[in-house]
Amino acid sequence: MLQAGSNSAVAVWAILRKECRSEWRTRYGLNAALLFAVTALTAVSFSAGRLGDRQDLLASFFWIVLLFATLSSISHAFVREVEGHTLLMLRLVASPTQIALGKLLFNLLFLGVIELVTVPLFMVLMGAPAPHWGTFLTILLLGTLSLAASSTLVSAMIAQTRGRGALFAGVSLPVLLPVLAAAVGGTRGQWQSHDVTGEIKLLAAYAVALLAVSLLLYDHLWEE
Amino acid sequence: MTGAAVGVRPVMLEAKGVTHLYGRRIGLQSIDFRVESPGVYAVTGPNGSGKSTLLRTIVGLLRPTSGTLSVQVDGRPLDGDSRRARIGLASPELSFYEEFSAAENLRFAAEVRGLPDPKAAVHDALAEVGLSERAQDMVSGFSSGMKQRLRLAFAVLHRPALLLLDEPGSHLDDAGRSIVRSVVERWRGNALVLVATNDPEEMKLATGRIELRGRRLGDTA
Repeated sequence: MLQAGSNSAVAVWAILRKECRSEWRTRYGLNAALLFAVTALTAVSFSAGRLGDRQDLLASFFWIVLLFATLSSISHAFVREVEGHTLLMLRLVASPTQIALGKLLFNLLFLGVIELVTVPLFMVLMGAPAPHWGTFLTILLLGTLSLAASSTLVSAMIAQTRGRGALFAGVSLPVLLPVLAAAVGGTRGQWQSHDVTGEIKLLAAYAVALLAVSLLLYDHLWEE
Repeated sequence: MTGAAVGVRPVMLEAKGVTHLYGRRIGLQSIDFRVESPGVYAVTGPNGSGKSTLLRTIVGLLRPTSGTLSVQVDGRPLDGDSRRARIGLASPELSFYEEFSAAENLRFAAEVRGLPDPKAAVHDALAEVGLSERAQDMVSGFSSGMKQRLRLAFAVLHRPALLLLDEPGSHLDDAGRSIVRSVVERWRGNALVLVATNDPEEMKLATGRIELRGRRLGDTA
């Protein structure tokens, strides 16, 4: 049992490193995500000015930028393997759960890197008020976890289907809406010094539920 | 054999009424056979008879729609994880990461498999298929023949007890076909080898045959 767990950890770690190396060499997602984040923030900053007193708008804009900057890349986690015909190689060396966990960890890391650039830039360009850092980072962490888990799961589900682009949007919408609603509500609330315990609990529960469902589903995703 | 010696492990492969359907289309129609190691068996049959489907079912990528397919090594049946560890497959559908070199691709596979010395395993596998000098070249620059050699290296990388070669001579020149023969000869005494082929030269490598027939390309259930 311990040996199996150790082998799985080794496999997941190797897949994570492969994803990082592949992204570094190809820049499939990083450049596009950063370009979107920077141009969106700059364009809105130029046209609408600083929105420090509009925390409702700030919160929605913050999560929209994060969502769109990262989604185009992390939603392709498995599609790239299918279109590059490398999924067979992966499946011959690792279980679907190991593959998906490696991809999920990479997506989390990817989101983290994008946030490292986007959050400070957002604060400066939008003139956002100083957040309550503990609450803000908790919401950011849980929202990131839910975004990565849901995108990885949906990406794995639709990777081998026809019309996967349309399917991703259709399947993702109901999965992502609760995350976005809670994340936007929580982010706005912490700026307005409201109690956001409800939003944090919802995000935490949703993240745990998504991870649990993912772990149950991954091994059955590609059964033929 | 280059590198570490392969431990000879008794392998038994048995199919009882194995059928696989892709939706309504027949991929593999009720087959029965039992083969044991050591030995080389040719899996033959017309196009669409299910040669590749059979190999994919053996390695665990496909599930039989009906019937049972049992793989035993040392008398123990293999499940999903142990099948991956004990079976090697070279298939024409197998592709590698174009942004990585041949050695990096194999190193990745060796690391995911948890091999104790990935570097040595990669070195031995590339040497076995004559790709040592191109180890650091990106796969994107490989010819189709070199990619086929890399598939063979991938299949033997972890010293499997059951080696499955699907049309191993495809895309290969004479030198490449000679490498296929030498790989099969090297593994003949150490593993159970199944070669899916209709090439008369490759069939000569086999000591036995599993013949798939009874259906035609595209038949529906």
